[in-house]
Amino acid sequence: MSTMTDPAVTAATDLRDDEELRRARGRRINGIARWVLPIALLALTLFWWHWVVTVNQIPHYVLPGPMLVAQTLVEDFATLAGSWWITIQVTFMALFLAVTVGVGLAILFNQSRLVEMSFFPYAVVLQVTPIIAIAPLIFIYVVDINLGLFTIDAQLVGLLICAWIVAFFPILSNTTLGLNSADHNLRDLFSIYGATRWQKLRYLQLPSALPYFLGGLRIAGGLSLIGAVVAEFVAGTGGVGSGLAFRILESSYRLQIPRMFAALFLIVLTGVAIYLAITWLTHVLLHKWHESAIKRET
Amino acid sequence: MTAPGLVLSGSARVDGAPLFGPVDFAAPAGRWTCLLGPSGVGKSTVLRLFAGLAGPVTLDGHAGASDGAPLAGRVALMAQQDLLLPWLDVLGNVLLGARLRGRRGDRAAARDILERVGLSAHAHKRPAALSGGQRQRAALARTLLEDRPVVLLDEPFSALDARTRAQMQDLSAALLARRTVLHVTHDPAEAARLGHHICLMAGDGIRPVPLSAEPPPRAFDAAATLSLQGALHRRLMQAA
Repeated sequence: MSTMTDPAVTAATDLRDDEELRRARGRRINGIARWVLPIALLALTLFWWHWVVTVNQIPHYVLPGPMLVAQTLVEDFATLAGSWWITIQVTFMALFLAVTVGVGLAILFNQSRLVEMSFFPYAVVLQVTPIIAIAPLIFIYVVDINLGLFTIDAQLVGLLICAWIVAFFPILSNTTLGLNSADHNLRDLFSIYGATRWQKLRYLQLPSALPYFLGGLRIAGGLSLIGAVVAEFVAGTGGVGSGLAFRILESSYRLQIPRMFAALFLIVLTGVAIYLAITWLTHVLLHKWHESAIKRET
Repeated sequence: MTAPGLVLSGSARVDGAPLFGPVDFAAPAGRWTCLLGPSGVGKSTVLRLFAGLAGPVTLDGHAGASDGAPLAGRVALMAQQDLLLPWLDVLGNVLLGARLRGRRGDRAAARDILERVGLSAHAHKRPAALSGGQRQRAALARTLLEDRPVVLLDEPFSALDARTRAQMQDLSAALLARRTVLHVTHDPAEAARLGHHICLMAGDGIRPVPLSAEPPPRAFDAAATLSLQGALHRRLMQAA
């Protein structure tokens, strides 16, 4: 073929190949850096921490070194794991409630402006009330809830209410925004198709709101953990056993600072895991169609 | 399927301010009518009145089908935006109308239509993975599957490049034949190619343009098409 020998075409092809190679190299470097950089920085931070503690001979009840914290984590894991599990349970129950109530209210607000006008101020009030101030009262007000099959302990009810108050607002406000931002041209199309109100909600508004909801979920995931920990701080130990926050309090009273750090580490680990899980979920649900998640070459 | 014609008479206003009119306009049954005019003259409003999407616009007069029956359920719309749902694949988008009517939809018919618009290989792609021309083909396929006798086109080809636009014009003209098509456009070249009838919309009303050219779709490079395009362009300039 004549084009194969045309020098101009060959040069252009080479140029494109170079460009492609450079892009591929860029992608590979990006992929490696994504993992290596944070891990290297973490290692550096840990080493610096260790170095500061060792050189300044800081006593372990003021600031334990990273090695001691790791050692404590392993030695006390049996105790800590039990508390960890309780904190995880409260966190996920609260997140579940936040999602159910948040999305439910968002749909209700979207369907009725009157309901939205009446109730949205209360949602804002709940959002801006400092949970640490009202948590003690909440634990006084709550009682056991008897659901027939099983009873929810008052202590757990209090924990859930506190964590829920902290976590539900981002879900509510983001989902409301999402339901209202369905493309008006698509709304017109649905009108021409004679779609019912329910069909508009189900096939147009809810999918449109999904990216917004996931953005809210990412915030709420972390907040429900913080809410659970703060509530435990106030509640102390009770019917549901002791979570990680209680372990932190207990360790600080007994000056077992390494153990306090170990418990803190588990809380941070949980928060990071929740964040990563929601990021992954977002990618799975959106990567084929939403602008935020589609990978483009340029 | 017997397609009704479209008739519009009266004047429109939005929030008390006059929008257009008084006008007296008819799109004959089973024909392709182009409504040509500059931006902002109210062309899209005419379309929305027929589609039943007038929103805040009040019409002092009448807009509807020439047979007197309501237009609701007999109208399809293709716009400049492809109006595809980004989370559904092409097949899902084409079958959307059936799904909203609570039926599973005829997948075989849908595949057949995708074949005719040349999208068979892309049936399971999301709109984001398609080019602009392919997305408009998907929108056309959906319009065809809906099989509505009246098709309203709101500048559906204006975002496409010249080559893709010409291809889409030919394809649409072939596949929408014998339906009543009302095509709103600001492009004299497009009107010159596609219209059985061409009406010019300006601030002082809607007027038909006399045509002596051959039936559409006319070749984009034929002397008659080009001279018609020039004549339309001149009228457009004078109308303002």
